[in-house]
Amino acid sequence: MINVQSATRRYGTLTAVDQVSFTVDQGEIVGFVGPNGAGKSTMLKMLSTFIHPTEGSVTVDGLDVVEHPLAVRRRIGYLAGDTPLYQEMRVDKFLCFIARARGLDGQGLEQGLDKVIDLCGLESVLKQRVKECSTGFRQRIGLATALVHDPPVLLLDEPTHGFDPMQVIAFRDTLRSLRNNRAILFSTHIIGDVEAISDRVLIIHQGRILGNGRVEDLANEAGIPGAGLEEVFAHLVRTTTPAHA
Amino acid sequence: MPEPKTADRELHLTSGEFIRGTRIVFGRELEAYFDSPIAYIYAAVFLVLSCTTFMNSFFLDGIVDMSAYFEILPFLLIPFIPALTMRAWAEEHAQHTFELLMTLPLHSFQAVLGKYLAAFCFYALVLAGSLPIVLMLLFLGNPDLGLICASYLGALLLGAFFLAFGLFASGLTRDQIVAFVLAALCGFVFVLSGHENVVEVLDGLAPTWQLGTWLYESISVLPHYQAFGRGVIALSDLLYFSLMSGFFIWMNQLSLQRSKY
Repeated sequence: MINVQSATRRYGTLTAVDQVSFTVDQGEIVGFVGPNGAGKSTMLKMLSTFIHPTEGSVTVDGLDVVEHPLAVRRRIGYLAGDTPLYQEMRVDKFLCFIARARGLDGQGLEQGLDKVIDLCGLESVLKQRVKECSTGFRQRIGLATALVHDPPVLLLDEPTHGFDPMQVIAFRDTLRSLRNNRAILFSTHIIGDVEAISDRVLIIHQGRILGNGRVEDLANEAGIPGAGLEEVFAHLVRTTTPAHA
Repeated sequence: MPEPKTADRELHLTSGEFIRGTRIVFGRELEAYFDSPIAYIYAAVFLVLSCTTFMNSFFLDGIVDMSAYFEILPFLLIPFIPALTMRAWAEEHAQHTFELLMTLPLHSFQAVLGKYLAAFCFYALVLAGSLPIVLMLLFLGNPDLGLICASYLGALLLGAFFLAFGLFASGLTRDQIVAFVLAALCGFVFVLSGHENVVEVLDGLAPTWQLGTWLYESISVLPHYQAFGRGVIALSDLLYFSLMSGFFIWMNQLSLQRSKY
């Protein structure tokens, strides 16, 4: 569903993403892990059509993000980093605005809203303004905006940012429940999140993919069999050897 | 090496889809205006200033018409329209909601038009706050209603033009103050270049170039606006306002595309 081939993104002389290639299939949860500034958010911005790749091809459900941005946007649920929300709006009105903008109407709108309100546990804050909600609730509101139209592709940038431990556990369960028939790509620098819910891991550093595969396979390839993701990640980042691109 | 991606070839929308998306953005933006106490303060200050200036002239001249109101309006709009538009895009950038808006399945032109129409509606409602003056004039005498209607049309078109470049200025920066100053400076040039004193001074500075006259005839908004104040609704003036507003709306949409590259 997600197919990235030799994608490069430059900002002036800075190359934020360099010749990155990977795929995410339907029913797969892929964790995108890397240090701050590694290029995770830039890659997700390209997949969300917010920015264009300077070179290479980025497609979602077979549609090129440059050629067919509107069609791609209809197929994705995207939670951007920093969780952008209209702070002055009431939560229910904000969700309604997003749902309508995503093409829902009438009964579909009501059903979509009821579903995400229940899934993300937003019932208690519906009449509050977004700015009056806690960080955890704001993150859940952001997640609800990404899920309201039941998209086949989910792109989540630091989705557990601001969550307390119980909320992290609940989020992991939610994400697992959403796996069916969806391609899910989420970025994080919290290794625990990736180990707990990902089928596969993408390790990115300095704009290049250092590892792409299951943790056990990556450990074997790195010459540290049996190692956890933390060790593999640290090993790959220290050696900074581009591979598996 | 693969071909660089430079074009933004969005799917064509049907007119129904286009109107629906624009209406969604319009509704949110209009609600945001009325959700903020600043909007009410803005409306109150604008009405108090414009109406007190008019009443002063009205009592001094003792003429049953609204020409004094419409003469002062362009000068009042120089700071007031930028105050209305400065947050439109600059706040989206500051709150990072720009990314949210631009990744919704909406064409960027729908977002621009929705914001523009919401700002125009708010301005029209504030302008409608001066309608009690018309009722007062009808009560006191027999004002020329055709002239008043033409003047209101001119005021709406002038506001539409100022809003278009105000929104464009807001789209150029993340800072609301910079957006305000930029739009106010543009408004200042567009209005003052039509003031007779300014034209005379500029012509006097460069008699061979006739800079003042050239600015008056080519750039200034005042001659086009003042025609409505004389009750003349000319196609050339309607075209001037429509094209200038359309140009800045288009520029606004283009300026949003730069974030993609």
